[in-house]
Amino acid sequence: MIDVRSVVHRYAGQTAPALAGIDLHVRRGSLFGLLGPNGSGKTTLISIITGILRADSGAVSIDGRRLPQDTRAIQRICSLVPQENAFYPTLTVGENLRFFAEVQVIPSNLLGERIDESLQITGLENATGIRANRLSGGMKRRLSIAIGLLNQPQLLLLDEPTVGIDPQSRQFLLEAIQKINAAGTTVVYCSHYLEEVEFLCDEIAIIDHGRVLRQGSVQSLVEESRDLALSVPVRTAGLQELFFHLTRTELRDVVQ
Amino acid sequence: MRVLATLIRKEFLLLRRDWHALALLFVMPAFFILLMSLAMRDVFATGRTNTNTFQYYLVNEDTTAFATSIANALGTHAVFQARTPDAVDARKRAILKGDVQFEVVIPLGFTRSLPDSQPLRISVVSGASVPPPVNELFRASVREAVTSVYLRARVAALNPGLSAGGSDFLQMEKIDALLKEETLYESAQLARRPTSVQQNVPAWLVFAMFFVALPLSTTWLQERTQGSLTKLRSIGLSPVVLLAGKLLPYLLVNMVQVVLMLVIGVWVVPTFGGDALTLGHSPLGLVIIALATGTASVSYGLLIANLVSTTEQATIATGATNLLLGALGGVMVPRSIMPEALQQISLLSPMSWGLEGFLDILLREGGVQTIAPKALMLVGFALISLTLAGFRLQRARTF
Repeated sequence: MIDVRSVVHRYAGQTAPALAGIDLHVRRGSLFGLLGPNGSGKTTLISIITGILRADSGAVSIDGRRLPQDTRAIQRICSLVPQENAFYPTLTVGENLRFFAEVQVIPSNLLGERIDESLQITGLENATGIRANRLSGGMKRRLSIAIGLLNQPQLLLLDEPTVGIDPQSRQFLLEAIQKINAAGTTVVYCSHYLEEVEFLCDEIAIIDHGRVLRQGSVQSLVEESRDLALSVPVRTAGLQELFFHLTRTELRDVVQ
Repeated sequence: MRVLATLIRKEFLLLRRDWHALALLFVMPAFFILLMSLAMRDVFATGRTNTNTFQYYLVNEDTTAFATSIANALGTHAVFQARTPDAVDARKRAILKGDVQFEVVIPLGFTRSLPDSQPLRISVVSGASVPPPVNELFRASVREAVTSVYLRARVAALNPGLSAGGSDFLQMEKIDALLKEETLYESAQLARRPTSVQQNVPAWLVFAMFFVALPLSTTWLQERTQGSLTKLRSIGLSPVVLLAGKLLPYLLVNMVQVVLMLVIGVWVVPTFGGDALTLGHSPLGLVIIALATGTASVSYGLLIANLVSTTEQATIATGATNLLLGALGGVMVPRSIMPEALQQISLLSPMSWGLEGFLDILLREGGVQTIAPKALMLVGFALISLTLAGFRLQRARTF
């Protein structure tokens, strides 16, 4: 589904590249976890995949279509749910959904159906008349995801979808994401929560300093992590050992 | 087109729920126009009875006919009004407080001392708060009163037969006939003076139009920080579409401002006792200058929105630069009364281009040809601002 080869991207005025020749392959239908500390290049990679940023060099193709030549076609089959609540707080849930549906030029006869479907998947059917700024943290995240589902994407990119929400909402979201994936949508799930990725994803890439440090199935990486845990007896968890082994434990205070 | 229409509809929905922005865009300029037009009515009204007068004490200690004639001549002035004299201390206090602006004392024995080599002098005292031009005007009016009475007395003394007729044998009123007063307009058709409403409506209208930069830049910053701009860009909306999605609705807001402020000038100000605004003779010129000013103001807001990083910065940047451009552009103080050097500097402000364009139409009876250079400058400013904003947007790290 996603094929990223030797992609380099450097922001203006920055000495170190945000992406330093990254390679990544995400197969169709997978629920793919993208792990990395702050400033590792996750967001830049997602921006390039969704056509917001252009790579300085390298090749990116989504479902056989190449960037930047086929940006429009790729954007029609992709959907990004940013880390922030990407909606208008003073508009109601219904108004937000209608706006984002119309701006994606979803045909008028399908508009209501798509909105209802998104509301149902995210459990917001009874909140259409409520202004978005009055929703709880969990409902806001669900609204962001509902907006992301409006175009029935083949590829859904979720950036930190469970940050700052209560356990019930988190559980609901994780189950919803599993259902979306089970329905055939390829999901790229960016998170800092290793246990979530371990629970949810079938394949994982750990990236840092703009490169993929490890990529493989959850099972294989957890096994590698357990081997490392033997040398660090304090912890016995799964992916965490491998993650810290690869990215080190120093603080990553990113200043933009 | 559907995308653009959706963006515009969303913008109106957001604005409809933002009462602060609506108050800033419509109530503030309406209030300013009403207040300033009425408050400054008499400053601009030179061709009618002036209710804004200055007070002076007239103390005539001399009791001769000559001194009384001077006192009477002083009393004919429309702007300066004589008050019944109080005690010396009370007069001094009133002048120091600014309640009364001047004091004229004709000393006892003044008439008798006239033939002396060192005659007694009429004392003219003014308060410290009196503006210098008013001070000069008052002294000149005293000098005029003394001169006319003195001249009559001297001529009568030389030829007593002349004064026997009783009337003004010097025919001083004929002096007025020697003067022809005129105000210069671009078109000679408008043989009347500008009123305060003609000055204030365009000035505060242009100021308000540029203030759309404030709600526009803050909503843009909110969209950027809340991720909705990122979402829109990931959908495939280009910087041009995103900028147009802001430009068009806010341009429409500007046009509503224009209509509303003109309505206030034409119909509301007169109901409060002010003059009615006249709209000139070029509706097309008015539409062109309104659209050009609106395009410039919205583009300027978009540029600021894309240059700053936070809503706080946007608020300060738009507020401060608007005040600066307004002061420089002749909104607070008409350009015509600025010193020459400042008038030249004020031409750097886009607000002055817009304001002068509106004044051309509303005040100077100009047409499309008159305002064309200013409109072109405003459109040029808008294009530069939009290009820079688009460039910044293209390069921005939106999330």
